[in-house]
Amino acid sequence: MAKCLPTTGVISWITTVDHKRIGIMYGVTAFLFLLCGGIEALLMRTQLAIPNNTLVTAGTFNSLMTMHGTTMIFLFVMPLSAAFFNFLTPLMIGAPDVAFPRMNALSYWIFLFGGLLLNFSFAVRLAPDGGWFNYANLTGKVFSPSHAIDFWVLGIQILGLASLIAAINFLVTILNMRCKGMTLLKMPIFIWTTLVTQVLLILALPVITVALVMMTFDRSFGTGFFDPAGGGQVIMWQHFFWIFGHPEVYILILPAMGIVSEILPTFSRKPLFGYTVMVYSSCAIGFLGFAVWAHHMFTTGLGPWAQALFSAATMLIAVPTGVKIFNWISTLWGGQIRFTTAMLFAMSFIAMFTFGGLSGVMHSSPPIDSQHQDTYFVVAHFHYVLYGGAVMALFGGIFYWFPKVFGYYMHEGLGKAQFWLYMLGFNLTFFPMHFLGMQGMPRRVFTYSGDQGWSLWNLVATSGSYITALGGVVFVINIVYTLITKKNKAPADCWDGRTLEWSLSSPPPEYNFAVDPEVKHLDDWWHQKYTHDGRRITPRYQPDVDPATKHLPHPSFWPMIVAAGLTIIAIGFLVDGIGHYISVGGVVVTLLAVYGWVFEEA
Amino acid sequence: MSAEVVHHTVTGIDNRKFGMWVLIASECFLFGGLILNYLVNRDRGLVGPKAVDIFNIDITTLSTFDLLMSSVAMVLALHACQQHDIKKFRFWTTMVILGGIIFLGFQYFEFHHFVHAGLGLSTNVFGSSFYLLTGCHGLHVFVGVLWLTSMLVTSFVRGKDWFPSVQLEVAGLYWHFVDVVWILLFTVVYLFVYL
Amino acid sequence: MKPISKAISRASCLLSASMFSLYSLAGSFDEHPYELSASFKTPMDTLAGLTDWGQGINYVYAITTIIVGIVFLAVSIPLIYAIRRFRVSDEEFATLPLPKQVHGNVILEFTWTIIPVILLLFIAVPTWQIIFRQPEKHQIPPGSMRIEVIGHQWWWEFRYPSLGITTANELHLPEKTPVYFELSSVDVIHSFWIPQFGGKLDVMPGKGAENYLFLTTPSLQHPEQNGGEYYQGQCAELCGLSHALMRFEAVVHEKAEFERWAAVFHNPPVVQTALEKKGELVFMQCMSCHTISKTPSEDIEKQMLAMDPPVHKAGPNLTDFGSRRMLAAGTRTNTAQNFHDWVDNPPSIKPGSRMVPLGLSKADIEAVAAYLRYSTAKTY
Repeated sequence: MAKCLPTTGVISWITTVDHKRIGIMYGVTAFLFLLCGGIEALLMRTQLAIPNNTLVTAGTFNSLMTMHGTTMIFLFVMPLSAAFFNFLTPLMIGAPDVAFPRMNALSYWIFLFGGLLLNFSFAVRLAPDGGWFNYANLTGKVFSPSHAIDFWVLGIQILGLASLIAAINFLVTILNMRCKGMTLLKMPIFIWTTLVTQVLLILALPVITVALVMMTFDRSFGTGFFDPAGGGQVIMWQHFFWIFGHPEVYILILPAMGIVSEILPTFSRKPLFGYTVMVYSSCAIGFLGFAVWAHHMFTTGLGPWAQALFSAATMLIAVPTGVKIFNWISTLWGGQIRFTTAMLFAMSFIAMFTFGGLSGVMHSSPPIDSQHQDTYFVVAHFHYVLYGGAVMALFGGIFYWFPKVFGYYMHEGLGKAQFWLYMLGFNLTFFPMHFLGMQGMPRRVFTYSGDQGWSLWNLVATSGSYITALGGVVFVINIVYTLITKKNKAPADCWDGRTLEWSLSSPPPEYNFAVDPEVKHLDDWWHQKYTHDGRRITPRYQPDVDPATKHLPHPSFWPMIVAAGLTIIAIGFLVDGIGHYISVGGVVVTLLAVYGWVFEEA
Repeated sequence: MSAEVVHHTVTGIDNRKFGMWVLIASECFLFGGLILNYLVNRDRGLVGPKAVDIFNIDITTLSTFDLLMSSVAMVLALHACQQHDIKKFRFWTTMVILGGIIFLGFQYFEFHHFVHAGLGLSTNVFGSSFYLLTGCHGLHVFVGVLWLTSMLVTSFVRGKDWFPSVQLEVAGLYWHFVDVVWILLFTVVYLFVYL
Repeated sequence: MKPISKAISRASCLLSASMFSLYSLAGSFDEHPYELSASFKTPMDTLAGLTDWGQGINYVYAITTIIVGIVFLAVSIPLIYAIRRFRVSDEEFATLPLPKQVHGNVILEFTWTIIPVILLLFIAVPTWQIIFRQPEKHQIPPGSMRIEVIGHQWWWEFRYPSLGITTANELHLPEKTPVYFELSSVDVIHSFWIPQFGGKLDVMPGKGAENYLFLTTPSLQHPEQNGGEYYQGQCAELCGLSHALMRFEAVVHEKAEFERWAAVFHNPPVVQTALEKKGELVFMQCMSCHTISKTPSEDIEKQMLAMDPPVHKAGPNLTDFGSRRMLAAGTRTNTAQNFHDWVDNPPSIKPGSRMVPLGLSKADIEAVAAYLRYSTAKTY
């Protein structure tokens, strides 16, 4: 079966196991979901533009804020990071593909179906409304009797599985498939942050899986894990959720830090300042990330000792983070900074992330947190970190690697226009939210009255969100313009880069490396281009060879079918009456597809 | 189980084996979460029977012994596979599968007995946590049985020259892990009652 | 394209600069029912710090803000300087030799590891001071007043066991008195928060999950005025559809005035006019959910609470309803028109409300309003 599948056209994309194509599919899908999450955000901001607005109802608003958070985290930032992992990891470590190419396709399809299932809830008017944290017991059967919460629980369960499979894949790829000479401390910094991210995923996802299974049992089989009436405890869900949820925060930000740490040196023409310390600080952030979950629960009545210990642990995270920030500035210092769009995004990341990080330090103190918890101050804080931080860095990464992926430079003028619209719109939206928080505006409210003193800043924030949306439109125009006109062809090493992917043609051939690379230094490609005294020498680009001479993994339908089977199992839980037949059908499909997969020639 | 291209790896460990180790790390946190939940809820059941009322330590010891023996059989099966001894490979694999099935039988018997003693899935949080924890382990045993059975059937289909050492080693890693988890569960769930 | 992006960049600089100056203007856009000393103070101002608990928070807050501000400057000044100083144009870039290739500097990196640790200690120590100042349940000073706060979807119940009083949505407090709040919920998680007093604490459902918040109530800002001073509170944890509308008011009284308020609960309502008498009859249908002190509805409540497990009435106690400024948990002002609209169709004002349209005629609503609003109105 596998041999007769085509190599171009729609079927070839559905059956592909090429990490580069899967990376592109991850990216495109992530942006489609960004559109959903963005529209949700705009609707919320429009509702809150003026007091006592009636654009949306309370129920719709709760769905919007739940799905906005869930979408942006699980369906935009995580998959967009995964797009970078997919495309770049093998290229940066000099490998022909990932360790398990078909598993890679599987994780994409599971992610896609999980995301579609989650958003399908809008179509049946059962969009989840329990917040992205889904706190029990509000989300129990008693207080949320419809299937809305089930959509969320099953959707996240499916998406978690996709991330887990991908994480195992990348961890094995990075540790097992590095090219000759690439010791751990010669890996590009982006590969390091990717590695730490995968470790976090592998250890954090099972915790949320347990909690989701318990919630499914509570909702579908009548157990009472989170129901105080039967001896259960609501606080257990919060512990489980945040033991996953806080590492999740670093799962979102670490890839972005890695991207920035690649862009800054390239456009400063200097190596990353303190590479080794950057590696250790990434590991320290990942490790500490597991020890601070209760700072999301400072107001739940933990008692003074738990508050004191978790606040100390939280403050500790500021230390490796601060080291990173100063090292980035030192990377710029004394360099030759080119103002490319990618660089603008990367530099703005430092500023915005620092700002968000500092308001985070404020919340590490439980007394302060008791005022800010669940107010717009917190909303401002995490948008500065995740939007001004993670998303800005991801956009920088797109402008940086777009020529590598598609072979053409994006339009710099449009890119800079987008950047400034984003900076303006973002700060206009989220800076006033600090004021709103200090003025006592709680989060997750669908309305407020005009006598609260919150009207002006809400209006400002809303206007900012529309400017951001305009920036998004400019980005889409840029992509379409670039891919249609195909004006500005990019050479292999289009930015004077430092890592192995720049030794490949743009876009890279299907087989990646014609000659297995061998590295001697950190940033080996740079050292192939410049001598120790700074003279430029001609490097050896990877030659193009006939793909037929390279052994490539065969394309396969099975990953998609396994993913479909798993999704059918979940759908069974959402249908009353014949639901369990559907689930059993899903199990059968999954099992058959697994057998088909196993006996297919790879 | 198909013959994937064996790449040279940096660590020298086969990708599939490495992948299984990573999965096991993840599973440790899965069972960690479930055990934690069980310990928290063990004494919080408001109604219905409690652990000390219904556990039958003798039978559980027997099923523990059975699962331990199946791990020994797993070692022997892998050894036979590596030695290219088709008879012993098939025999010991069958023994592992049997061990797994007997264990599942014990568990069915135990659950059946508990339900009759008045402890259903949703009777109280102790019961729910108990069923969730041991049931999750049982599901793992079931997956292992399915996996090894598939390998055994494949062995008969592919003939006497098929010795999937690496694949069997991966399955063995999984089996031993599931076994070790049970030792932990046996201690935490059953023996702690008598503390 | 370039002029456009430059124009946008200038505009963004201007706007962020003017943002701060606008901040002080913000208050004037809204109409305030609350008396505010400065235009940027809002009813839910988190910086007021009127109690000992709030002052403790502000103490940590001030220190932290200063340190965080210093760090922000220490990052942004070198960052902006480096970006401006080391920028090269594309033409320069093509001709320039490589800059000095610096790979790191152990002393520098060590410095910016140690300095943050020291700075964080300056935040951590006061933080711990304040954390341990808040007494736990067994440390609560004797003689403080116990108030049970019970969260309902979406309103607040307040019980004063020492006074034998139950009320709702208006938390009356004597000034300068140590009180402790025992927080519990009959349904989902809520969060009890009066921003001007201090931080919030979650209201957890389940036996043994109660939280305790201790504070000394503030002194009166304008002791010469009667009728108490109002502070707004709100639920701060998502609790379902009308989470946004789960508000309440804390009213601080001079001590004698507080005693007079409490006395209202120990006498049956005064029912004199025909309208009030009619209202009393109409209220009979309300008694399974609502209570008025010293009426048969109170006996029903006692019986319900004596059951195992205790059953709480679905609606708030309405004893001092006539004196309340707001109705439906702070959703609307307590006027005759709003009262009519509320009773006529509660879910239209508060989505998901457990009080459903009862189909009362306009006359019935007027009668019950008379009974509720005037029979128990301010006698203090």
